[in-house]
Amino acid sequence: MTMTINDSTYTTETAKTKRRLYMELENCIGCRSCLAACTQCGGHEQRNRNYVYDVNPLVNRQTMPLMCLHCVDPACARSCPAQAIQIHETGAVLSALVEKCIGCQNCTIACPYGIPKFDEEENLMYKCDLCIDRTKDDIPPMCASVCPSNTLQWLTEEEIAEKQNRHDLDNEKWVTSMPYLEGETNVKVNLPGILQGTVKLF
Amino acid sequence: MQRDKFFREIENVTHPNEKLVKTHCSYCGMQCGMNLRVNTITNKIIGVEPRYDWPVTVGKMCPKGVTAYQQTNHDDRILRPLIRDDASLKGTKEGFREASWDEAYDLIAKRFGELQSQYGKDSLSVFSGVSMTNEKCYLTGKFARVALGTRYIDYNGRFCMSSAAGGFLRSFGVDRGSTLPWTDVHETDCLFIAGSNTAECHPTSMFRVWAVQERGGYLIVADPRETPVARRADVHLDLRPGTDLALANGIVHLLIKNGHIDEAFINKHTNGFDETKDLVKDFTPEHTSMITGVAVEKIERAAEIYGKAPNAIVMFARGIEQQHKGVDNVSAYTNMALVTGKIGRPKAGVATFTGQGNGQGGREHGQKSDLLPGYRKIYDKEGAAYVSKVWGIDPEDMPQAGVSAYEMFELMQEKTIRGLYLLCSNPAVSAPNLNFVREALKNLDFMVCGDFYLSESAEYADVILPSVTWSEDEGTVTNLEGRIIKINKAQEPIGESKPDWQMQVELAERLGKGKHFSHLKTAKDVAEEFRLASKGGNADYYGATWDKIDEQDGVFWPCKDAEDKGTPHMFLDKKFYHPDGKAKICALPYRPPAEEPCEDYPLRLTTGRVVYHYLSGNQTRRIQFLNDMCPEPYVEVHPVTAAKYNIEHDENILLFTRRGKANYKVKITEAIREDTVFVPYHFGHDESINLLTIAALDPMSRMPEFKACAAQIEKLKSGKVL
Repeated sequence: MTMTINDSTYTTETAKTKRRLYMELENCIGCRSCLAACTQCGGHEQRNRNYVYDVNPLVNRQTMPLMCLHCVDPACARSCPAQAIQIHETGAVLSALVEKCIGCQNCTIACPYGIPKFDEEENLMYKCDLCIDRTKDDIPPMCASVCPSNTLQWLTEEEIAEKQNRHDLDNEKWVTSMPYLEGETNVKVNLPGILQGTVKLF
Repeated sequence: MQRDKFFREIENVTHPNEKLVKTHCSYCGMQCGMNLRVNTITNKIIGVEPRYDWPVTVGKMCPKGVTAYQQTNHDDRILRPLIRDDASLKGTKEGFREASWDEAYDLIAKRFGELQSQYGKDSLSVFSGVSMTNEKCYLTGKFARVALGTRYIDYNGRFCMSSAAGGFLRSFGVDRGSTLPWTDVHETDCLFIAGSNTAECHPTSMFRVWAVQERGGYLIVADPRETPVARRADVHLDLRPGTDLALANGIVHLLIKNGHIDEAFINKHTNGFDETKDLVKDFTPEHTSMITGVAVEKIERAAEIYGKAPNAIVMFARGIEQQHKGVDNVSAYTNMALVTGKIGRPKAGVATFTGQGNGQGGREHGQKSDLLPGYRKIYDKEGAAYVSKVWGIDPEDMPQAGVSAYEMFELMQEKTIRGLYLLCSNPAVSAPNLNFVREALKNLDFMVCGDFYLSESAEYADVILPSVTWSEDEGTVTNLEGRIIKINKAQEPIGESKPDWQMQVELAERLGKGKHFSHLKTAKDVAEEFRLASKGGNADYYGATWDKIDEQDGVFWPCKDAEDKGTPHMFLDKKFYHPDGKAKICALPYRPPAEEPCEDYPLRLTTGRVVYHYLSGNQTRRIQFLNDMCPEPYVEVHPVTAAKYNIEHDENILLFTRRGKANYKVKITEAIREDTVFVPYHFGHDESINLLTIAALDPMSRMPEFKACAAQIEKLKSGKVL
């Protein structure tokens, strides 16, 4: 079971103009400014929580950011036996609560995108919290604020709908993967603990 | 003003006990807006917050910009003057001891005095840079001519913007790096980008570049490598390094042949079309293809797109400029805009991506060997007389023009120049043919270096003067648009460090020239004198007061007086700056690179930047995030070429030219021509690629040919990857 937390500063008014992180992967130039910016968010303790990959390094310069997708029903939170990963009412899936995280690292292998990482010294999981200090007030997260190529953008539902319409050519041809960006995929992923219920042979 | 579709009102986050200081980045010509976060208890800079309300970059920053603040309170800062008594240790980090400012100044005044009385005024030299404010650049020029009285001053812009300057002066009669504001870029219909690795060198231009394609516009990129911007180009003109002039002539040939020229514009507003038409006649697509190695169809497609585009912007950078025909390349690509009349109106024009933060302003106001403030030529009697009056000197005492940056090292080697005051530059990494340049530095009788870190060049100094970072002083900078902007002070100088302008005032006093300098007590005082000195010149800053810069989000020069709001778009009246008001279309015969590949050196070596480092790397290699991302140089090799040499990815190889050699790790990539290898130039000592580059200078700009020389690879027995 996952928990949603409430924040008094987050009002219905904010919800109306709600913006989301939106990605256009082809724009990525591999500058990794999003990583540098991530370390600048208060509470991130100078450590980036997003990643950029060279797609085919020996061939071309295509890169892509790997960001937390803030799943609607996040595997990281569901896999947590201590309910340390909470979901903010904006939808942001937060980093583990220090007082609750037991350091089991279930979340680090539950997430199909490899977003949660583990800090051995602190015995604590850390992940993108969508700069909740900023995004709760509709201020863009640091990564999208600085992204020089507009790979990462902070857009309203309306602006995203416009983008989607633009890419809908109504010609039965595949155009973009737009409708699936929110992580409601057709792949089913099992959570850690697949040996539970297995009876040892001897 | 100039707020566009990317602009959005966003409130900044401020944390308890923190204030934000609005300023701009310390690095490239984009001069991205940023807020420095300052702790109000310790009064120290502790971080960065986006500056969403800066109209050019709307909060965006590259990784260098995000981490720029980490320079200020860095452990490597030099906190007190350093003196080295044992000259045999030159070229190493060893032997420096801390000294007081008094002792340092006294020593400099004594040694400079001895050299000048024994060998004449011109035995001293100043080598400066343009990663500093207009005020500092201006005063450095005055310091050389008035306090030292030497003709020998030049600067690192010679390795950066000099060819663009020369080309624009010849084509337009004026050198403003961009004929239009950056807020026009995404609204044009075609971007023709030549020799610019935009995504790595000016990353915050990229959201505008991609937006052109999003609107249905076209992107054409000319580059020997498939850089991140070339990757998505509609046409990638993958030319051999050093063959731009042929490509530009080939495109102009097709623009004429396809009837894409604007005859009315050519007749009314230009000279030189007929000669040019005659010259480019030979540059058929086939001939152009033979020289450049670019497929005929690509050349034809590029010319067709540029020709048909209602509006287009031709943009270029060091790729075309750092050649021994860099000036010709600039004028040749500018010809495209002039024959089609795609200039002198919004959304159409020509622009160069200025490399250094103040590459534009710093080249206009007297650091160049033959220039005085306001872009006046030093041999222009009237201009020199005006500047002399502002400086309070007899025009007879104004020194003559000196020589260019690289040529100063030649004069050091032959002992014509015996003393050097180096500031804001690191030529022991950034100059070409480094074995020679490093010997020349070692050969000096006395060298002073102003820097905030102990750079590779500072290792040759007898005295090091601790300067401040950009965030500990204020002043103006002119960005790549030609927009004068304000750098604000966020923190007091750490240790005993001082701004360079203050050192120059105090040193001038020691040299007995106080009456020309002592009135300059603040950066603002320098700014006021500088505006006056520029008044009436082509680059007229007189009306660009600090207040106006704040009110208007910057001021585009020329800005002549209090009423003048500045000039975002150049040539809207179709008046160019040549005496007859016309632009010049230039007929430019093709010349190959100074050093063509041969049997012994069959590869073409080209150099450039990576996104994580700036210039010589003296600043960025010290920033942990940036250094983690790119800790060492490498050589990019095409897999076909790698197979010929039997070398693998990550294998260590020897790369050499007629001038030098270095070991590099191989980076295999298909994103480069088979005949070309690439090495980034940000690294010092044995890792510097400039040990290998050639000092073939452009006859007009004296720009060295960093971008093309002949090289060879040798497989090392010990180089194999395990």
